[in-house]
Amino acid sequence: MPDVLKAPLVVEFPFTRSLGPVQSAFLTGLRERVVLGVRTGGDDGRVLVPPVEYDPVTAEELHDLVEVAPTGTVTTWAWNPAPRRGQPLSTPFAWVLVRLDGADTALLHALDAPGPDAVHTGLRVRVRWAAERVGAITDIACFEPYDGEAVQLKGNTGQFENPVTGIVAPARLDYTYSPGRAQSAYIHALGDRRMVAERCPSCRKVYVPPRGACPTCGVATAEQVEVGPRGTVTTFCIVNIKAKNLDIEVPYVYGHIALDGADLALHGRIAGIPYDQVRMGLRVEAVWTEGSRYPDHYRPTGEPDAEYDTYKELL
Amino acid sequence: MSKEPVAVVGIGQTKHVAARRDVSIAGLVREAARRALDDAELTWADIDAVVIGKAPDFFEGVMMPELYLADALGAVGKPMLRVHTAGSVGGSTALVAANLVAARVHGTVLTLAFEKQSESNAMWGLSLPIPFQQPLLAGAGGFFAPHVRAYMRRSGAPDTVGSLVAYKDRRNALKNPYAHLHEHDITLEKVQAAPMLWDPIRYSETCPSSDGACAMVLTDRAGAARAPRPPAWMLGGAMRSEPTLFAGKDAVSPQAGKDCAADVYRQAGISDPRREIDAVEMYVPFSWYEPMWLENLGFADEGEGWKLTESGVTELDGDLPVDMSGGVLSTNPIGASGMIRFAEAALQVRGQAGEHQVERAHRVLGHAYGGGSQFFAMWLVGDRPPDS
Repeated sequence: MPDVLKAPLVVEFPFTRSLGPVQSAFLTGLRERVVLGVRTGGDDGRVLVPPVEYDPVTAEELHDLVEVAPTGTVTTWAWNPAPRRGQPLSTPFAWVLVRLDGADTALLHALDAPGPDAVHTGLRVRVRWAAERVGAITDIACFEPYDGEAVQLKGNTGQFENPVTGIVAPARLDYTYSPGRAQSAYIHALGDRRMVAERCPSCRKVYVPPRGACPTCGVATAEQVEVGPRGTVTTFCIVNIKAKNLDIEVPYVYGHIALDGADLALHGRIAGIPYDQVRMGLRVEAVWTEGSRYPDHYRPTGEPDAEYDTYKELL
Repeated sequence: MSKEPVAVVGIGQTKHVAARRDVSIAGLVREAARRALDDAELTWADIDAVVIGKAPDFFEGVMMPELYLADALGAVGKPMLRVHTAGSVGGSTALVAANLVAARVHGTVLTLAFEKQSESNAMWGLSLPIPFQQPLLAGAGGFFAPHVRAYMRRSGAPDTVGSLVAYKDRRNALKNPYAHLHEHDITLEKVQAAPMLWDPIRYSETCPSSDGACAMVLTDRAGAARAPRPPAWMLGGAMRSEPTLFAGKDAVSPQAGKDCAADVYRQAGISDPRREIDAVEMYVPFSWYEPMWLENLGFADEGEGWKLTESGVTELDGDLPVDMSGGVLSTNPIGASGMIRFAEAALQVRGQAGEHQVERAHRVLGHAYGGGSQFFAMWLVGDRPPDS
């Protein structure tokens, strides 16, 4: 059996977030070196930091913003000996929950400390502000141990000039991707410009690309069958808008191609013929270019068109 | 023991727009949920469980959004479930909620679906660059357009049918204050003059990208008796799935869609849907899916669906109005789109649809599908409770 392929797959995207009134005030406050909480309703109103839009107990909408101190107490912690990409500090640090003075709940952040021996529940800490602040949780660079005086507050209620209303929240996921046994074999064969499908032992249908199992019968497929390189265009569209990251001049034709011997169509570009002359039933063959894993496109073979009845189940 | 009848007693949605930059995702879902509670004249305390749905996590990059949204939806201390079936999710979410009531697990359930497309890029989320695989060559509509051409070939429908659907749906949207697109100067000529993006699909025949949420309050017989406004009663509901690609797949009229509709009709005692159902709110992301689904759902024989569209039967004042709300063609917060279809069906039988109300809407079908015709969800609602 040929080797099963593997490759890194990194998925990342800069998601945007509209903040809404409460998070907008909180993050704008950080930009101005002010930490805000939100007070819950009722006589026993508690101050939640970081603030939330809706009361976790009563579900009521919250908007009573109150300033809390940049100093506080560690309520629990965990040492992080090997910081990873994107974490607040690049040297070993403690993850801490800090209850800021004036708050009833704790905020998760990083504590810069020389080692785990320097950290304990009950430790007094204060905010270390980032030098450049933009209205993001990273405006708090981290916390640091602090045994000085309490800080005088100005009673800020969340009114700021030029509030931050949205942030960019980049997400990144690192995978190792493997297409598995069947697709690896298919891809290896493509290297020899052969298209190797697999036949279901139960329904006898021929799958290309093969998935290693028949989606209808739910049984493993193993019998290899070479299909193509000729086939029939069963249906298509004419693409008139340029797709991102795709270096193909428009208009071009994107078609479903039933390779001879296959029981379902695969998708590909049809070229070597004016786009407005492509038709259902057109007979085509794969065209390979140097260095490309897949056929670059499919071009007419010059054979007579296939009868509709021969491919109507393969649209 | 028979099932508990399920009633829709509250419906809420946001005004769907391209971008709701004034609210967080929590604020968006809250708005729809609050309106549904207000419609039902209920409070958070009256809700026993919350069932929420949205499209794939990559669409917004919030993993497990149900955790983050529990506070906003008053779900603390209550069961909260998240449902996920691609574009059909709004429909299947409502059905999961309905089944909780039908099974007498809960008396009153809040169900909600949402999407904030402006915070992401759905096309990116659907076309991650997988190693060793050929990149998708055609963009969003390129996936659907070959199926439309296949339908045209199979049915012999004239080229104009798709534009008639788009023209109708955009006019219907003008009567729906919650619809995203309000094209006041729409004409058939304008629809037909729009550029072909993925021939045979024109720009004017595609759905927009929307931010929005939709919520419903579902309850049992006792809850319905206390409701301040007429309830909609679920007469049947079903889900079906099949792979996106397999040998023998009929992308024009998928078997799973036919089976799903047949199950709903069996539950509701419908033998002739064309005669016994008064209107249909179906998931039409590209105009031509109206005639395709009319056939798939049994409202027309194979190859005949376009004739209903062409002859005006599916117009708001036609004999079988389709997509009274303006449909997905006018509003598409993907995760919510299925629930908006279900909610519109309920609004119609409750007589609460306002300017886009259909006369004599006693039984209306709500339909959702998604994931390359992989998932189907439907319900039939009526203005009277099911026979017990």
